[in-house]
Amino acid sequence: MSASSTNHDRSFSCRLYGLLLRCYPAQFRRMYAREMARTFRDSYREAMQWQGRSGVLRLWGVVLYDLGVSLFIEYRSAFKALLHPIEERQSKNYMSVTNIVFAQRTDIGLQRKLNEDSVISIQPEDQKVMESKGILFVVADGMGGHSRGEVASQLAVTIIRDVYYQQESDDLEASLQLALEQANTRLYNENMAMSPKPEPDQMMATTCVAAVVQGDTVYVANVGDSRAYIVRDRQPHQISLDHSVVAQQLRDGLITKEQAKDHPDRNKIYRCLGEKDVVEVDTFSAKVQAGDLLLLCTDGLSELVPEEEVVTIVQQYEPQESVQRLIERANEMGGKDNITAVVARVA
Amino acid sequence: MKNESRNAEEMIPLTPAVLHILLALADGERHGYGIMQEVTRRAGGHVKMGPGTLYGSIKRMLADGLIEETGERPDPALDDERRRYYRLTSFGLRVMQAEVLRLHQIVLLARSKQVIGGSEAIGGLS
Repeated sequence: MSASSTNHDRSFSCRLYGLLLRCYPAQFRRMYAREMARTFRDSYREAMQWQGRSGVLRLWGVVLYDLGVSLFIEYRSAFKALLHPIEERQSKNYMSVTNIVFAQRTDIGLQRKLNEDSVISIQPEDQKVMESKGILFVVADGMGGHSRGEVASQLAVTIIRDVYYQQESDDLEASLQLALEQANTRLYNENMAMSPKPEPDQMMATTCVAAVVQGDTVYVANVGDSRAYIVRDRQPHQISLDHSVVAQQLRDGLITKEQAKDHPDRNKIYRCLGEKDVVEVDTFSAKVQAGDLLLLCTDGLSELVPEEEVVTIVQQYEPQESVQRLIERANEMGGKDNITAVVARVA
Repeated sequence: MKNESRNAEEMIPLTPAVLHILLALADGERHGYGIMQEVTRRAGGHVKMGPGTLYGSIKRMLADGLIEETGERPDPALDDERRRYYRLTSFGLRVMQAEVLRLHQIVLLARSKQVIGGSEAIGGLS
């Protein structure tokens, strides 16, 4: 068989499967059609490589049977959700004890070789810890030469998690601040322990925004330009403070918002974890109410997707679909950096 | 989404597809096609899972907090297309253990009734 007829068969099969995917319910299709088509293509390639046309026929047998069975299941589940939206949610345990539904997602973007962002969402298993310390979300955007940005952001999120939940103090804002300070100390010490000592721009460092939701309050701590927002009544309210040169100039009234948008130095930050032995952490607290959405993200999202669009997405979809759509949108806008988002809905 | 305060026992019995996916992720994160390959390989070709069953199960497992996504990146062994990777959550691990234990009890029962023979029938579970 010639290579061109093999390619022709493959592209015909993939197109046909692409058409069949349109049979699935819209929401399911939006979330998984791309991955399913890719999986089919991979399966086709493997079947063709090892078993030739008979393998491809067998693959189509499995796929058609699978299509019938899974279509039935997905439509049944879509109808159930339509008829009993609330029961469906409860049976799936979407609602946790603190009435928060959340999802996180990180993506390498389209132009970077590594994903140096890290993200963590912790809902304590122990009910007492859950009540006293709440749910923790941390997003970090690492930097540094020789892949150390990846290590920096990962170390930061794990240290913050450990230190925060080990604190016995009732002062959650102070505990969060201490957690970021300790992450800074650890990263700084790692940099100092290296031989030879890295140049300032090669040191491993990371931005960090951490949020705790406990009772009706959200506590936020941040260093750098990763952000925390509360979206209420379709309005975004940024809680964190950007430690970027441009944001500072904007706060000082030296430049306008328009100038800030295209400023060549808009990615430069003047504060991060790991660079100096002591770091100043900004902390904030705010009351939350039912319907509020908490969003944590790296600049890979906030730089590319306008706030109004972000608001539309998080208001319209459940957190799990929101984070996916936010990342897809940032990639559509060029995906020039790693992209990370956490969305939490207060029910 | 994590729901770690829940009891793993409430989630079992699992469907065969869900159990196979959990087992495929037991030794590390994989993308969808990687899960399919692992399931086929481990089950000696007895289990054929199509993309619909795979992603339908993944959707429900994400909602139930059994697995989580770890981002999108290319698999160097395949091509440069980016694929979504999934890994077990600690809750998923507990649910898988509870299910395997349940199956193990059934095997023990079958053996005590001499439905099956000696230890070879339960392989790695004993």
